[in-house]
Amino acid sequence: MKIYIRSASSISPQETFNNPLFLNELSEYPNNRLTCIEPDYNELIDPKLSRRMSRIIKMSVASALSCLKDAEITNPDAIITGTAYGCLEDSGIFLANMVEQDEEPITPTAFVQSTHNTIGAQIALLLKCNRYNNTFVSGGVSFENALLDATMLLMEKDTDNVLVGGMDEITDMSHTVLSRMGLYKRKPVPNRDLFKLNSKGTIGGEGAAFFLLAGTPSKNDIACIDALTTFYKPGDITETAQQVNSFLTAQSINCNDIDLLITGNNGDTRNDEIYVQLQQLLFGGIPTVSYKNLCGEYPTSTGFALWMGANVIKTNSIPAILNYKGTAQNKINKVLIYNHYQNTHHSLILISSC
Amino acid sequence: MDKLIADLKEQISVQLKLKNIKPEDIGDEEPLFGAGLGLDSLDVLELIVLLKQKYKLKVSAEDGPKVFRSVKSMAEHIIAKQVQNV
Repeated sequence: MKIYIRSASSISPQETFNNPLFLNELSEYPNNRLTCIEPDYNELIDPKLSRRMSRIIKMSVASALSCLKDAEITNPDAIITGTAYGCLEDSGIFLANMVEQDEEPITPTAFVQSTHNTIGAQIALLLKCNRYNNTFVSGGVSFENALLDATMLLMEKDTDNVLVGGMDEITDMSHTVLSRMGLYKRKPVPNRDLFKLNSKGTIGGEGAAFFLLAGTPSKNDIACIDALTTFYKPGDITETAQQVNSFLTAQSINCNDIDLLITGNNGDTRNDEIYVQLQQLLFGGIPTVSYKNLCGEYPTSTGFALWMGANVIKTNSIPAILNYKGTAQNKINKVLIYNHYQNTHHSLILISSC
Repeated sequence: MDKLIADLKEQISVQLKLKNIKPEDIGDEEPLFGAGLGLDSLDVLELIVLLKQKYKLKVSAEDGPKVFRSVKSMAEHIIAKQVQNV
């Protein structure tokens, strides 16, 4: 069953929010941390309601509201979110408060707002939406699991539309911790040069992307989701290739039917080796773009990739700022997004023109 | 009393993240809840913690509605408790 993307909205380290131009200019960052370009929230969210919201909640709520507006939907049948880190800023605040206050009673707001499902709940509260509301916290496939849940809901036919989103934020604390763990490059690397260096580590990123999905077509759909799958810790590259082949075969297509491959290369040689090998085994000659020089690495970055893929199909164009390899097709009908997060969580999302 | 009220307004503004309301714009006797500042139940918890952290005061459930009526009533409660403790 096809799932129709009626609208898509993204707040990211690029000028993606409410921008009619599709990735026309690269926003550059000189170091290993890409932070979102945020709108003026006072124009989007009632200040009385937003005063308790942390940055990730505001980014997500703004993205969700914009997505609904574009789809001309006031109240969706379901709200599903996917986030690995949740509301990290508030988690850090209340943990720091506990230490600073010698475990005496601390202010409740940061704790209340720190749970992973706060974002879905805040959107529901704003919309007064009492319907299905679910949040997936599954590491590097949190967004994909939210998407899968949305797909299954729509397949059950009781639901006409679903608002689904993926979001994660980077904070000073998380950037420091993840740097210590060796996730990021040791020396500052501008995002423009992410794919030019052969070194370990990547650059940190964040973002909030929302989609209004429907089970029936409309004249305003921007793209369709044909299928998606996830797999966990494949043993070797052969197993990964088998997973990709099985996925495509189930859709009655092969690699040559893919007009554009979007891969999750993040500039870390340990990470990108898998994409290089897969290119040799399966995807040789298929036009390919990578996207993490635009949004950085974070567990729900496939939300940004899906937003990007849907807009590639909608505009039938590949922005010049993307790291493009291959010969462009006249018409981009099928786009495959393949990403893995630290070679643990792998995902495939196949989208097509409607 | 005036200094205490001014301090409380500043502390309430920070604690409750009232970004669009300046501390000096909060009236001394303006109701904190309902038609006044429009605070809610979560804010009550914040105010209870504020009094505990800044003034080492506990507010009982019976005293709550009276204490948190306005900034002035909070200040009066703080002074009354401080006098009791002398």
